Amino acid sequence: MKIVKTLLPVILLIINCGCHDDTPQTERSGGPRVLTYWPAPNAQEVELADSLVRVWNRTHPDVQVRMQPIPVSQSTEEVLLAAIAGKTTPDVCSNIWPGALHEYTQAGGLIPLDQFQDFSSVAGGRTPPELLRTFQSTDGHFYQIPWKTNPLMMFYNERLLLEAGVSEVPRTYPEYLAAGKRVSRDTTGDGQIDIWMGERDIRPIWWQRLMDFYPFYIAASNGGMLFEDGRVAFGNRASETVLAFFQDCYAQQLFPRTFFQGGDPFLLEKKATHFAGPWQVAHLKKFVPDLKYGVAPIPVPGDHAGPVYTSGDFKNIAIFGNTKYPREAWEFVKFLVTAEHDLLLLEQCDEVPVRGDLLTNPLFADYFTRNPVMTKFASQVVYTRGMDEVPDLKEILDGISQEYEMCAVYGRKSPAEAVRDAVGRAEIIIEWNK
Amino acid sequence: MPWGERRSLLSGTNDVTVSILSKIRQSDKNGYWFVLPYVLFFLAFVAYPLCFSIILVFHRWNIVTPMEWVGLKNFQRLVADPLFLKSITNTLTFLLIHIPLQILVALVFALLLNSKVRLRGFFRALFFLPVVVSGVAVTILWQQLYSYDYGVLNGLLHAIGLPSIPWLIDPAWAMPSIAIMATWKNVGIYIVLFLVGLQNIPSELYEAASLDGATPSKQFRHITLPMLNPTVILIVVLSTIGGFSLFIEPYVLTGGGPMQSTLSGMLYIYNQAFYFNHMGYAATLGFVFALVILLVVIIQRRVIETEAT
Repeated sequence: MKIVKTLLPVILLIINCGCHDDTPQTERSGGPRVLTYWPAPNAQEVELADSLVRVWNRTHPDVQVRMQPIPVSQSTEEVLLAAIAGKTTPDVCSNIWPGALHEYTQAGGLIPLDQFQDFSSVAGGRTPPELLRTFQSTDGHFYQIPWKTNPLMMFYNERLLLEAGVSEVPRTYPEYLAAGKRVSRDTTGDGQIDIWMGERDIRPIWWQRLMDFYPFYIAASNGGMLFEDGRVAFGNRASETVLAFFQDCYAQQLFPRTFFQGGDPFLLEKKATHFAGPWQVAHLKKFVPDLKYGVAPIPVPGDHAGPVYTSGDFKNIAIFGNTKYPREAWEFVKFLVTAEHDLLLLEQCDEVPVRGDLLTNPLFADYFTRNPVMTKFASQVVYTRGMDEVPDLKEILDGISQEYEMCAVYGRKSPAEAVRDAVGRAEIIIEWNK
Repeated sequence: MPWGERRSLLSGTNDVTVSILSKIRQSDKNGYWFVLPYVLFFLAFVAYPLCFSIILVFHRWNIVTPMEWVGLKNFQRLVADPLFLKSITNTLTFLLIHIPLQILVALVFALLLNSKVRLRGFFRALFFLPVVVSGVAVTILWQQLYSYDYGVLNGLLHAIGLPSIPWLIDPAWAMPSIAIMATWKNVGIYIVLFLVGLQNIPSELYEAASLDGATPSKQFRHITLPMLNPTVILIVVLSTIGGFSLFIEPYVLTGGGPMQSTLSGMLYIYNQAFYFNHMGYAATLGFVFALVILLVVIIQRRVIETEAT
């Protein structure tokens, strides 16, 4: 009994610590309502969130917001899924990847935002209708409001292209391949190519394909998505053309079949082109301020006509189902997406708000005058696509990744065979998980 | 002492005996308190997950939605899943390369370190160093060594006029490359085990053999190797267990590629569970993978027992 008497207080203390309620005292005693807001954990966005929350808290004494960056993990999606499972979600999160939305809604983790009467005017007044529709879930509701986008574009090193005698930025596959033959070469005479036209991580990891196959597929298919009406839609000529292009890049030694070591090869001027979003601008500004570079749409097939679409790498805002104050949370969401705060997003983070009026609204004019390269990304916004909201998207992308590796990197399959097998695998995955 | 014996002692005993026995019973109760922490740990971290994973085998569950009964559907999927078979074949390929290499390298270094060489203590510590370094750090280091275009190893090959080897980017080379790395990382433990085995061989055996005119190579074949048999068995078992849990190396180095040639069983289970949230299917894979390990261990044991007799 002595042991029990000794251990009991310790056990009770541990249990008490584990069950500690973080709710501020004020909320319990009838004070202001408190919302929890999770922004992305990178330094710029945390700084932005901090300044916005300060303004909100000053002007809304009855609804206070507590900002906490998303706990650092391998991915935000893992953290949010764990939070939904553990019922510890925030009220609002501004780092929702549309590709994971299906899992959240399936678990009943999010509330439909179109239940609020002014949703259409707020979202529709900010985002072009055609683009906004791509964020509508299959049940007809909107569980997310598009917030920011990182349109994937092609960065090019002006010096490397000019030194190789390439005066025009390549816009199509044939132009890119022709330029690549000039650029990729051995400059030291040791028999090894040391300047490459481009480079991609060749490991068959599903999310790597979001930086090569996926944006190129969207571009080649004029804004097509992987699924249409819940059915596999990438078994087409656009997919084959994209795989054939990358197969040429590897076969003609324009891309290395290796991992670069010892730093970013674009920063080190070891490769002439790089496919990335606007985050790369801040990166280049910080590490190689003297680098002469330009930004252009990603290459498209030779017979392409019309605007060049790309993937948007969207991060959106959602309200979680366990919020006690949905109306107040929606008011806070509207506060985050005002034009003034979108300007702050540009100024502080160099990230592009999902707005249709970025280049026409005078509010943003000064920013784009000071940052001309960001104009390219702003003009791309209306020609971006998000992610399909389908179950098992990651596993399907994994299947595409395996075929990409087999066909494009190692040339062991023809593009037609690889597309056929990727489609087959996607259909099996869908069937298995029905 | 069994309770039956205690009861027989109790019959016709005096007060002193009763008092002693009650103390014994009290000390037994205290014993339960001492084992309680481990029992709780066992229940929470071994028994509960094991029972839960058996339940999962018959369900579909993605952590956030309620579990859904699917009967034997996970097994049906497994039978039709070419990647599972591929991952098992890859793991066995790894073991076939890794275990003999491990034994050979460890034995050679143990023999060298068992002889009277200068700085013997320093070299023993040096060979053990990779064992205590983080697996991820070691893997990143080897990524630098193995790089096709900029790697140190290919640089050395070039320096002597040989062509580059596609260490991690050719399906035929990738798994042997990982086996070499795993051997480098773990060989220190097995060197220590062989050293213990070598130092336990009585020196009289060597003295008698040399008096009979046995050459060093004959002494090695007829004394050292047979006397090291128990150590070899231990190393084979430990390497097999370690080899089946191959995960960090392909996860960091290759992501399972090129062309799934380094997709190990553990990596595939991890992908299914934590990338794709298919907890039920991952549990089924784990269950069948455990059966494969059991089968391999039984075969190994039979072979070893046959060799011993």
